[in-house]
Amino acid sequence: MLRWLARRIIAAALVVFVVTSLVFVVTHVFTDPATVSLPLEASQEDRASRRAALGLDRPLSVQYWDFVSGLVVGDLGESFWQTQPASKLVFERLPATLKLVGGATAVTVLLAAPMGMLAAWWERRFADHAVLGFSMASISAPPFWIGYLLIIVFAVQLGWVPTFGSRGFVSLILPSFAIGLASAGRLAQMTRRGIVEELRKPYAVTALSRGFSRSYTIVHHTFRNVASGFVTMTGWELTRMFTGYTVVIEVVFAWPGVGRLAIHAIENRDLILVQAAVVVLATLVVVTNLLVDIARRMIDPRVELA
Amino acid sequence: MTAVDDTTTPGADTGAVDAVPPEGVTVLADLRSHLRKSKAGISGIFICSLFALVAIVGPWLPFIKDPAKQSLPDKLTPPVGWGGTWTHPLGTDQLGRDILARLVDGARISLLVGLAAVVIAAILGTALGLIAGYVGGRIDTLIISAADVQMAFPGVLAGLILVAAFGPSVWLVIVVIAISSWMVFTRVGRSLVLTLKTSLFVEASELSGAPSTRVMWRHLLPNLVSSLITLCVLELAAAILSESAFAFLGFGVQPPRSSWGLMIQQGRNYITDGWWIVTFAGLAISIVVLGVNLLSLWLQSFNDVAEREQIILERPGG
Repeated sequence: MLRWLARRIIAAALVVFVVTSLVFVVTHVFTDPATVSLPLEASQEDRASRRAALGLDRPLSVQYWDFVSGLVVGDLGESFWQTQPASKLVFERLPATLKLVGGATAVTVLLAAPMGMLAAWWERRFADHAVLGFSMASISAPPFWIGYLLIIVFAVQLGWVPTFGSRGFVSLILPSFAIGLASAGRLAQMTRRGIVEELRKPYAVTALSRGFSRSYTIVHHTFRNVASGFVTMTGWELTRMFTGYTVVIEVVFAWPGVGRLAIHAIENRDLILVQAAVVVLATLVVVTNLLVDIARRMIDPRVELA
Repeated sequence: MTAVDDTTTPGADTGAVDAVPPEGVTVLADLRSHLRKSKAGISGIFICSLFALVAIVGPWLPFIKDPAKQSLPDKLTPPVGWGGTWTHPLGTDQLGRDILARLVDGARISLLVGLAAVVIAAILGTALGLIAGYVGGRIDTLIISAADVQMAFPGVLAGLILVAAFGPSVWLVIVVIAISSWMVFTRVGRSLVLTLKTSLFVEASELSGAPSTRVMWRHLLPNLVSSLITLCVLELAAAILSESAFAFLGFGVQPPRSSWGLMIQQGRNYITDGWWIVTFAGLAISIVVLGVNLLSLWLQSFNDVAEREQIILERPGG
């Protein structure tokens, strides 16, 4: 187990290294932060002096070394829009993003597990079709549009919750649902399929023939065997949230997270800050994947020692 | 060399009969009878063809107005049923432009960008998957690690950094969606090739001296087609959603051109006194994606992809 863990951690670190290097290639080889920060009509002299001020006139290898050694100690450069260390800005916003992802994950799991079980319990009957309908609708609608619909109905028309911003627990509800519904739709179908498959296996048939009810068998026998896949899929949804959904949903709900910071940084031509946000989010994705692998091994030791 | 190939190919192809019916006609007939039994398939095809038709001929339909024509006295007219009239069936936006006309106009970009991205991703991804699976060795390791890295670096992040570096454009959005989806084709293509590689018809073709490019192109690729088409449809749904998200963030099409995602972005300041702008634009995206999803549901049930699905869902070690 320890050797497996060590190998997985090294592999994850390697992926982070490759991804950050790719980011560096885009931000320093194809273009550079000085050019991006200046308007198109800026003169050559302006460009040159800005490049010199940011140390971009040095050889690329030196710049790359600076970048990598900065990463190791958590230095992600200086934002020239905010004139503050980029890492400080990103880490200030990180708790808000994590809170949002946490809320969305809670919505996902709390909706998906019961819906999947219900659909499997009443296979091919009304509940099953209803859950399938929910899943198809939720994965087909763009999350940011769901966000606006929720705002229109619950904030504007009914006035139950605040429309924008992050004011305590209540304002977390709508964005969490906007992100979580699609994930719940996918996960519910996966859970249903898993349970239905398991119910046809001999151990489940035995349990049923011994007189255990279908619901008891689902909850106590088959769901456990689906749990490993459930955790994997939840982790996969988490990575989707970190990268795709949160960015868009943070914009919709004016949520002060890393994604919205990145969008503001783009608007203000601050390449260093965008780079910092992307590096942090990509690292979060890799760490999530690692944690999911570990959780899966703990739930189901049969998982291969790959 | 060609002569040798041509004489051996018929013999080699008979070995493939088990894997795939040689006549396309049979497959089509099966497909059609399967379609008749599937409500999902019929509705999916109906929705997709309807939207494709609207995207192609929409602007020339007689009752569709000029999408760019502004009329400030008519601004924020509600749709029919909420106090509006049939002059603007779905109401007007903040500049008095007809929502229905703008939806029809936006359909092109919304659908074309997704389609183009999926085609690029499918060609690139399948080619890499074929090579990785068939050639194997170091090349395989290299390609599959690249796919794993790509999985850890999803599209929106790549989109953020590329838009920050190069500024927004439709082409950039196509590229970003394509690079966030190629590895799905690579992984599926590769795993299928790995199982096909040991088949008799591949061995026969190799023994008769066919170069590896010919084995891949003539013998392996045709066996991947049905799975890859299913995958294309699945990815198309994701691509259309991604396009709408990028357009919404302002990364893609720039005004005065329009797409559904951009309409939502422009209408979002009017959700209190003009909820219909955001609602109808999002509804258009949802319905078309639903159509594509239904189509993919049916295709999946047609060539039972339980196994393949497992491959797609199975995440790599990050």
